[in-house]
Amino acid sequence: MRLLIHDLENEEFQRIFPNPLDETMIISNSDSIHNCIGCFGCWVKTPAACLIRDEYGDMGEHMSKCNELIIISKCCYGGYSPFIKNVVDRSIPYVHPYFVIESGEMHHRRRYKNHIDLKVCFYGENITEKEKETAEKLVKANSINLHCSVSNISFKHCISEMEGLIL
Amino acid sequence: MKIALINGSPKPDNSASGCILEELKAYIESENMMISNYNFRKPQLNAEEIEKLTEEDVLIFAFPLYVDGIPSHLLYCLTQLEEAFIAVNKKDILVYTLVNCGFYEGHQNRLAIEMMENWCVKTGLKWGQGVGIGAGGMLQSLKNVPAGSGPKKNLGEVIRQLSDNIKNCGTGENTFVTPNFPRFAYKLAAEMGWRTSIKANGLRRKDLFLKK
Repeated sequence: MRLLIHDLENEEFQRIFPNPLDETMIISNSDSIHNCIGCFGCWVKTPAACLIRDEYGDMGEHMSKCNELIIISKCCYGGYSPFIKNVVDRSIPYVHPYFVIESGEMHHRRRYKNHIDLKVCFYGENITEKEKETAEKLVKANSINLHCSVSNISFKHCISEMEGLIL
Repeated sequence: MKIALINGSPKPDNSASGCILEELKAYIESENMMISNYNFRKPQLNAEEIEKLTEEDVLIFAFPLYVDGIPSHLLYCLTQLEEAFIAVNKKDILVYTLVNCGFYEGHQNRLAIEMMENWCVKTGLKWGQGVGIGAGGMLQSLKNVPAGSGPKKNLGEVIRQLSDNIKNCGTGENTFVTPNFPRFAYKLAAEMGWRTSIKANGLRRKDLFLKK
């Protein structure tokens, strides 16, 4: 399965992807997302699922069932937009609370064995070079912590540049 | 000098960010410092808070690292503040940031610190210094250990240096600190903590490994 997380308005999304996407689960902003409250319930109360039961409570499970993760996000200060970051923060049930040491650094242990190919498309009119550098490093760091492989990171000046994007 | 201590943890109490700000406060408190405390727990700030923040001379953020970056609720607040600071066009406010993570190594906070620097560029504020703190999960349990001693030896020294910079309105290199405590012992203690927590919730140790 392919998991597509985006922060575009519905109309914008329809314009970029006019045809239905095969075997793709789409996570978009319905203005109902709650922020992660750092309770660790997804590790010690309802393991592998977020305690907050809004429509974003099963992000860990969705990630466990995908082999490709595509993120389309406005670039904010060299990171994701608040909505995308919110979804990413709510995805930590995907990993296990225990630690492992990889390349000399501490990270969370895998909970699942699936392999995820990660593609990130950042957009924004005024993305600085410094922000691009930060964003590239961020996606690489995320790929280590979420056990993914990065296959593409791209930057677009505006949403219309994504029209015709083939996933 | 008007200083804002901004706790960016979503936790109402017992946060590592709160412990860090308390320790910093002890170093910077004096007669000519007007310190205000803010808690950014929700993804929205009210007009009164925003107005008050634009009148500060120094903003000191402390927050936990969430998936290599800034927690989303704080990010929502920062986008609100970006608009507000651009509107008032104040360029002399200094920003210092302390980020703590559950991982042992303080440098794993570096990207969240970079994002705060990028935020300063976008808002027109002046970057002071960033501090990345490892093993944040341990800080609450070390609350009664005096700053600068035992496992908090390195952290105490870094906070003291940061407080000197703040008092002098100075800038400094970003600094990363790991506790004076072995990594393997921290890892074991953390894992034991998760087992105790899950059992306290009426589940079994093996439930930590559940899959959906």
